Amino acid sequence: MNGFVQGDPMLCIGCRTCMIGCVVAHEGLRIFEIDPDGYDFHPRLKVVKTYNVSVPVQCKHCENPACMAVCKSGAISRIDGAVSIDRALCIGCKSCAEACPFGAVEMVTLGGVLNADGSPKATANKCDLCKDVPGGPTCLRVCPTAALRLVTQENMGETIRLKRLGALEAALSQES
Amino acid sequence: MPSEFGLFVSADPGKCSGCKACELACFQSHHVKRNKVGLTVGTVAVPVTPKLYVTVMETASMPIQCKHCENAPCKAVCKQFAISRADGVVIVDEKKCIGCKDCLMACPFGAVSLLPYFVDGRPVPQADSDEGKVAAAKCDLCFEDTAGPACVRACPNEALHLTDVDADRKRKNIAAAEALAVINAGVPERGLL
Repeated sequence: MNGFVQGDPMLCIGCRTCMIGCVVAHEGLRIFEIDPDGYDFHPRLKVVKTYNVSVPVQCKHCENPACMAVCKSGAISRIDGAVSIDRALCIGCKSCAEACPFGAVEMVTLGGVLNADGSPKATANKCDLCKDVPGGPTCLRVCPTAALRLVTQENMGETIRLKRLGALEAALSQES
Repeated sequence: MPSEFGLFVSADPGKCSGCKACELACFQSHHVKRNKVGLTVGTVAVPVTPKLYVTVMETASMPIQCKHCENAPCKAVCKQFAISRADGVVIVDEKKCIGCKDCLMACPFGAVSLLPYFVDGRPVPQADSDEGKVAAAKCDLCFEDTAGPACVRACPNEALHLTDVDADRKRKNIAAAEALAVINAGVPERGLL
């Protein structure tokens, strides 16, 4: 099973530190030393605020990813359990953004990167679970309220086991 | 606010009945000025050349058309600069097209076709061809029509719609965020994870 990062609206205070952490993780610490226009601020998760909740929304790293199924340029693949986009291969057709039911894929224009014909390069952008970042997903490490967690096969299995035990206990308490 | 990224018409194969009304509407709307094609059969004196292609399988059908890619491969390969992209719409200029077919090969969706090029009811002449010029043709989102894409309006099953992925993403993000409240309520021991 692919792991994924999940936010908890009960704990999220909407500070957007996760979004900044995400950009730092993918653009590097250099962003603090260079012109703000010199790098791309394209967080791969989005803090969503509604009347009821504030919580970051990001890729669920689906087992049968809709984004990957519709990509005709071979730019989306699963690498070590992370559904990842190869920006060099992305033609910006937007099919993946349309296909994702969570809105976890965003189209972004890359500053300073041009296509062969001189037009600005755009790409689909999404969470890659910080697969190239030591220490794993940065968003959950920087969250000041620990509102994000990495759901893995192991801890999800344990959660479900506890739920089943809870359901059994509930049934037993009814009997007695 | 207009989307930063190109809009495109997408189809729902679950609703498409394969009737090709979209193809006819597309053809008619693009040839009403150029070839005086009206809304009735008797006014059609040129080949019927739509810019979207109803594609049929045994179990499903839907029109295939241009996604107006941000880094359009068709535009990238065109050596004649016959393909341009303005306001998010990728457009072929048939006058400039020399029929090299590179754009047909470059498009991963099959959204570009080589079609007869008629003006004023007659084929545009080409030196070595009795049949006249052929040129690359693809969806231009009916950019000249203020009422928007003719295919969307013509579909009797409402299987086509103009998609703005960025607006849709925001709507889907909100639904996903609201769902997380329900999802997290179902976790018995938060501290465990």
